[in-house]
Amino acid sequence: MEEICFDVKNVNLFYGEKQALKNINMQLLKHKVTAFIGPSGCGKSTFIRCLNRMNDLIEGCKVEGEIFKDGQDIYSAKQDIVDLRTHVGMVFQKPNPFPMSIYDNIAYGPRCQGLKDKKKLDEIVITSLKQVALYDEVADRLHESAMGLSGGQQQRLCIARCIAMSPEVILMDEPTSALDPISTAKIEDLVLELKKEYTIIIVTHNMQQAARISDYTAFFLMGEVIEMDITDKIFASPGDKRTENYITGRFG
Amino acid sequence: MLVNKKRVKRNKSLDKFFHGFFMAMALLSASFIVIIVLFVFAKGISPFLPGYEYGQVNIISFLTGSLYRQDQGIYGIGFIVINTLVCSFLALLLSFPISVLTALFIAKIAPKKLGAIMQSVVELLASVPSVVYGVFAAGVIAALIKDLASSLGITTFGGSSMLAVIILLAIMIFPTLTSMATTAIKAVDKDLEQASLALGATRTQTNFKIVLAAAKSGIFAGAILGLGRAFGEATAVAMVAGNKLFGPTFDLFDITRTLTSTMLAGLKETSGLDYDIRFSVGLVLIAVIFVSNWVLNYVKKKVGNN
Amino acid sequence: MKREIKDKLLEGITYIASALSVLVLGAILFYLLTNGLHLIDWHLLSSNYYSSTANASVINDYEYVPMSDYSGEGIYSAKWGIAVEDITTSHNEDEISVVYVDPNSPFNHMESTVAGEEGKASSLSEGSLIKNIYYINENGETKFLSRVQMGDAAKLIGILDDQATGIVSCNFQSLGGGIRGSIITTLYLIAVSLLISLPIGIASAVYLHEYAAKSRINALIRQGIDTLTGVPSIVYGLMGVTVLFPITQLVGATSTSILLGGLTLAIILLPTIISSTEEALIVVPQSLRDGSLSLGATKSQTIFKVVLPCAINGILTGVLLGIGRVIGESAALVYTTSTVINDYPNLLSQGTSLSLMIWTIMSGEQPNFELASAISLIILAIVFVINIIVKIIGKRLARSFV
Repeated sequence: MEEICFDVKNVNLFYGEKQALKNINMQLLKHKVTAFIGPSGCGKSTFIRCLNRMNDLIEGCKVEGEIFKDGQDIYSAKQDIVDLRTHVGMVFQKPNPFPMSIYDNIAYGPRCQGLKDKKKLDEIVITSLKQVALYDEVADRLHESAMGLSGGQQQRLCIARCIAMSPEVILMDEPTSALDPISTAKIEDLVLELKKEYTIIIVTHNMQQAARISDYTAFFLMGEVIEMDITDKIFASPGDKRTENYITGRFG
Repeated sequence: MLVNKKRVKRNKSLDKFFHGFFMAMALLSASFIVIIVLFVFAKGISPFLPGYEYGQVNIISFLTGSLYRQDQGIYGIGFIVINTLVCSFLALLLSFPISVLTALFIAKIAPKKLGAIMQSVVELLASVPSVVYGVFAAGVIAALIKDLASSLGITTFGGSSMLAVIILLAIMIFPTLTSMATTAIKAVDKDLEQASLALGATRTQTNFKIVLAAAKSGIFAGAILGLGRAFGEATAVAMVAGNKLFGPTFDLFDITRTLTSTMLAGLKETSGLDYDIRFSVGLVLIAVIFVSNWVLNYVKKKVGNN
Repeated sequence: MKREIKDKLLEGITYIASALSVLVLGAILFYLLTNGLHLIDWHLLSSNYYSSTANASVINDYEYVPMSDYSGEGIYSAKWGIAVEDITTSHNEDEISVVYVDPNSPFNHMESTVAGEEGKASSLSEGSLIKNIYYINENGETKFLSRVQMGDAAKLIGILDDQATGIVSCNFQSLGGGIRGSIITTLYLIAVSLLISLPIGIASAVYLHEYAAKSRINALIRQGIDTLTGVPSIVYGLMGVTVLFPITQLVGATSTSILLGGLTLAIILLPTIISSTEEALIVVPQSLRDGSLSLGATKSQTIFKVVLPCAINGILTGVLLGIGRVIGESAALVYTTSTVINDYPNLLSQGTSLSLMIWTIMSGEQPNFELASAISLIILAIVFVINIIVKIIGKRLARSFV
């Protein structure tokens, strides 16, 4: 029996007058990698930002419907947004390390939660860095600025920063779109490694990537979910003509 | 899970506190303008109200009077308002063409390096404090005017004169006018210029006919800002105005008196009505700036629409 | 080609217009340098404005050592190691002024006998005016030499060289004309105004840029702050004495004071601090805020830990511009700190900043152009340096998040 992480029911999202998401329904499973694919502007990034309520930051953005996590609607008034985000981490399109040292970047989240114990922080920083296979590369310069790392290293640092909070879910919004192929391969390996412990939801522009790393795939078009199924099935025998057209490269 | 429930609660209330704090500070910052106007108004209006402790002053004769004798307790500032307006507008008239031409030079005509140097010169002039301009005006401008006047057979009060005030103000508002005009000219759409060039106009013709016309709204905004500065300029003006007791002054070589120089004159050893009346003068100064801003912005809109 | 000539002519006019402003800047600098530069020295920066009379006696364990050679200006006493000259003061009095004191001279090894500071090291220095001297003659008697008996510089040196076998004590007047008190006042004003203005200004900028949604109230707040920029500084002065004076009374001020001036300046600085902070906030990429929030940081944690540290250059610019403004401000201070030059200022006393000191010495009966020019030069040097640093920071800011 698979456990459900997010249960999304009838979600509609508006930017002012414009509707960006139409009637989204889906279930996202724990300890699986789910990929969202679709052409630019199809709403996949908008949707992933609903899952940790990052859309709240955009002025004039309105969300209707319900998203249940552990039985509670994360859009209900009872939900603490900050608390939600400690459970649902996020990695962004462009690496966005803070202009501080590598160590401080990773210790940032725990410190915000009030953790001051130096020993514990050291431990968290080192395990997080080891988990993303960055530790060996930066062990001797933990206290140097994170801005000096390469793009791929920066993105792995951002993932380490995210797992330092030991979240349940990691949202990844096109995490490799700004990276070279070698860095991309490293991140993909990392995702496969991480899914043992975390639920991963990844938005990607790259269908091969979705095919390589995800268990489930959802295809978005014009703000709607056209189809969602086991990845192998989506790529082998899509149920919808539009999905097939997209996958075979007729548009997008 | 790293979440510490107690800590989360504290963070949340801290977050709320800071939201309130930031907002309160912003409100405080914004409220100062109201406080300034209210308090200057309250204190400035008091000498004209019945029951004023040093003897009520007639507001009509205050506003229309043409004699200001602190020593005799006669306070008429009608002529001072006229002096202030005349000096400021003449300064603007003098400064405006020079600053627009300089702005055009910096933005379009000068070779790149020279333009950057000129921009720095303008910035340096902008950063010179007003008392320093005052020293320069008293030491150089007034001396030159004195020599000029005596060569024309006119005696001056050591060079302190309306002309000195005008030249001083023209210099002081020049950086404001120029930097606003430079910004406006640099913002002119490149396509517009190219359209003019494509029609066979020369660069210079384009600069003078198209660019200046397109930038006029920004240039005008600079002029309004500069005029406001001219009205309010105090210490430097007071060093060369001479503080005439009656007026208005229309003779360039005669001494004059502006609202600000009146507010500063003999402040050191004064109290009572003579002190309070300065708030009334300050109130009139605020009114002059407000009204002129309003009128000029109205004119600007009209001009801009054509 | 008529058109070409016309074009050249128009271009020429813009060159002339630009040359005018260079000419004005040059004239200002030239005037100030020729009138004020010679006054700028350590004495100007370190001494009091008001001259004071001092009494000092040669210390007991002074041992006479032969003086070194001196070939400068004035009349030199090789015996006592002191050179003096005749001068006429600005009050039209003939005085004997010291131009050189040898390190070994007894006049360089004295202690004060003025009540209240007995025993404090004292010495004649360049510019001191000698009023009277007690010396020991050949018979070992202590003799008094009054100002009238000295006559002029030549006669004084003659008496000392021919008759004195020892120096006992000396009464002299310090030169004065220094700006130490005004420098201290200026520093006080900078400290007070920034201390108040920085937190309010930064918090306001944070609210306007990070919190404020588009609403009527927020538009009004912005309008209010923008309008402050156009208020003439003399009007701030009026506001200071009415609104802020009662606040300074709470901490014990009885008259206008440096504290009052600082508070008034704090309000004058607000628009500057707010706009430079906000400009820096605009440059901080949204992705950093998103990153922080996605890690479960609260909004205020994000602001203090990520956003403001990134905006530090802009805040620094605000601070520098603020310092420049405080140094240059005069009209607002005329009303709030008074125009009395104070050699020993404290927060609750009156005093003049450097700019205000210029106003004071220029608006008196006898304007002192030379001192005013010297102070102007000092102010300009500081302000120009600030300008350059701000420009450098601005360039760095533009590159910082590319």
